[in-house]
Amino acid sequence: MKILVCLKQVPHKDARLELASDGSWIQDANIKFEINDYDNYALEEALRIKDKDAASEVLVLSIGPDRVQQSLRTALGMGADRAIQIWDDGLARADSLAIAKAIAAVAKTEKCDLVLMGLMSDDTNFAVTGPILAELLGVPHATGIVSAKFDGGQVEVERELEGGALEVVKLPLPCLLTAQTGMNEVRYASLKGIMQAKRKPLDKKSLADIGLSAGAVAPKVTIEKIYSPPKGKGAEILSGSKDEIAQKFVGKVKELGLL
Amino acid sequence: MAKTLIVGEIQKGGLREATLELVTLARKLGGEVASLVIGSGVGAVAEDLAKRGGGKVLLADDASLAVYTADGHARAIRRAIDAEKPDLVLISNTPIGWDLAGKVAASLDCGIATDVIRIEQDGGDLVFVRRMFNAKFDARLRVSGSPRFATVQPGASDAYTGSESGSVAKLDGVAGDSRTKFVEIRVAPAGGHDLTKAEIIVSGGRGLQKPENFDAVLKPLVEALGAQMGASRPVVDAGWLPHEYQVGSSGQVVSPKLYVAVGISGAIQHLVGMKSSNFIIAINKDPDAPIFEVADVGIVGDLFEIVPALAAALKTAKGG
Repeated sequence: MKILVCLKQVPHKDARLELASDGSWIQDANIKFEINDYDNYALEEALRIKDKDAASEVLVLSIGPDRVQQSLRTALGMGADRAIQIWDDGLARADSLAIAKAIAAVAKTEKCDLVLMGLMSDDTNFAVTGPILAELLGVPHATGIVSAKFDGGQVEVERELEGGALEVVKLPLPCLLTAQTGMNEVRYASLKGIMQAKRKPLDKKSLADIGLSAGAVAPKVTIEKIYSPPKGKGAEILSGSKDEIAQKFVGKVKELGLL
Repeated sequence: MAKTLIVGEIQKGGLREATLELVTLARKLGGEVASLVIGSGVGAVAEDLAKRGGGKVLLADDASLAVYTADGHARAIRRAIDAEKPDLVLISNTPIGWDLAGKVAASLDCGIATDVIRIEQDGGDLVFVRRMFNAKFDARLRVSGSPRFATVQPGASDAYTGSESGSVAKLDGVAGDSRTKFVEIRVAPAGGHDLTKAEIIVSGGRGLQKPENFDAVLKPLVEALGAQMGASRPVVDAGWLPHEYQVGSSGQVVSPKLYVAVGISGAIQHLVGMKSSNFIIAINKDPDAPIFEVADVGIVGDLFEIVPALAAALKTAKGG
């Protein structure tokens, strides 16, 4: 099976995020980045297919400036076979539809049996690139899956609904699946894997290389402004030494009649 | 203002509350309101929506739509868009909505804003407000396309309570196959850890850093309060605690007399599960953590220093 895994690089969970001066994005020049958590589960699922069937090929793709090469190398170190970076200044303000168009251009050339990606990204939280990409590729999809069982030309997946319920559906291949977090236990790259990754192919492609014009990826959704949410009533912050705070805490619990 | 098409959602045979929240949003924008009800034998639901503010309700009723499939629902929505030519399509951001909305928007090469909490009018244009970076920031978006699409966070608006005289019209051309086949709904077996009836819950998050700290650091506070232990999603995803400990939209929805959140930043999916608690105390090292927005009392600092101090003070207060 040939599998395409889409990886997004997002600010590290522990990065301190500050707004950019023009208010349209965060300051991303000096922060650490990592592979979007949801996408790690998608990658792991693909690598598990390859573990069972060595003839399978796992292709990883990321859209972003050269810093994403590090994430792609990590994925290669974990066991992916090949990596593609797509970048072009025309993609700097890309929306989900534009990103999906760029991925679709590659996916159509590569003729994959399966496209895997995370349910959403930890930066924009749009959770919509997967279903858009599936439509552009003309394949069925399922979002937020927690398991996938492949059997011949089809796959049975469990989709996470609300309150712990799961919807079980069957899809024919080729198809697109988006992974929910906790789907599997994500592996680490081994030292041997990291060494091998250095020799694996990583191709950088521009929009022209994948046959798209800047106009084709002009965004239909633009972020006018991002800002710290207006403070609501906010919490009463307990101050003082840790023992004073502890006394105030006990006082609150008493007031509630719970002590 | 222009025309809005509301995509209704059916839950347990009736209208989902979130659909009536879309009615509130659409009516606030002014202009015409049309709605769509999709299912099999759901004429009564369409009649209900027509009386509750749905305006002209289109009924996509066919045996092939008895269960949700992206192909079937997308076909019905496309038919409704062809029939009504709306300027804006609103869909609830539920497991059905987020599976479906992007597919339909892409089929028309239109823009989509997801998980929107508010829509504002700005001159002739609309501004879509939503959270980003796991609720750390808010964003204002502009969307182009004809129609424009938005999915809306359930609970972001009040449900419409007015009664109106709408109409129901049957939509044809909605039958067809789906590539995806529905198999069944599985409900996870109830665990032994029911948090929904707990008076006090102390939940731990990723801030506890490793699984051993739930016993070493959190448990003494849980015991001193006579509480039950809960957890945030990342803790369960990492396998530190079983799923039955998870508080949030995909775990248990709780409303105890006291909820103590320890090392939990407050992702939306967690807040949905605990914000209706009677009293909330949050402990977090980041003063900007979204959890402090829903908390009554906050403690900003290192939980590894504070939590043991709280447990000790409680013990002393109880005379132990």
